[in-house]
Amino acid sequence: MDVSAVQVPTHETAEIQAAKADPRRFTPLYERYHADVFRFVHRRVQRMELAADLSQETFLKALSALPRYEDRGTPFRAWLYRIALNELRMHWRKRKEVVIEMSFAEVRGLGEEMGADIEDERMQKLAWALGRLPSSKARLIELRFMDGLSFAEMGVVLEIGEDAAKMRTHRVLGLLRSMMTTRG
Amino acid sequence: MKHRYQISKEGRKELTDAEITKYRDPKKLLYNYQRAKLLLHKKPLYKDPKSFLVLILIVALAIFIAEVVEKDRSTGIEDREQQVP
Repeated sequence: MDVSAVQVPTHETAEIQAAKADPRRFTPLYERYHADVFRFVHRRVQRMELAADLSQETFLKALSALPRYEDRGTPFRAWLYRIALNELRMHWRKRKEVVIEMSFAEVRGLGEEMGADIEDERMQKLAWALGRLPSSKARLIELRFMDGLSFAEMGVVLEIGEDAAKMRTHRVLGLLRSMMTTRG
Repeated sequence: MKHRYQISKEGRKELTDAEITKYRDPKKLLYNYQRAKLLLHKKPLYKDPKSFLVLILIVALAIFIAEVVEKDRSTGIEDREQQVP
């Protein structure tokens, strides 16, 4: 998954301003980011209808909150992901357990950053280690490797700075490495 | 709430654009937004002077009826007490 540029395109800034003035002009932004938000949600709920409902709710909240949106040069997509993550949290609140599927490719990327080759038999160990992380730490790994976000975007989603996102991710990678070593 | 991770060898199926487009409906979004906004900006009953006056009258009437019923009941009890030798 490619990591998007941090800079907001000028035409997008104009679109955001137009949508702030008239909600009917939100459509170009909706059409551009609908698939991204849908995939973001679907990766976590794995059900089409539910992903559709949560995505629609995300855009509805985004449209309502748009007058308060401040363009600080961070990607608009990340702001939408933040809203989507809040919707997911609300959805998960009533559940005891949430199952998140990760693909082979995502795990390979994670292994590369950890400086270790994730072989087939070590995948289950990694899944175990991820499940033992506090959700705030596991979220960093999800956003970075499952969603392919840049550190700047992660900062927007988690409402922390870019540097903090980078530092915390590296710490979590170190923690994962030690957990996997301990388990043998 | 506990998170459990499953790492599958085949990998998770990535959705195609065609699969997602089916669920894209900007008209529905705008309709829902306008409906939500309308409900949000609807004047509450207590802020509408006419409705507020009617509400006050109903409450006053209810208090008056309750008082009358209570008075009747206590008068009835007193009468019965006086009749008892």
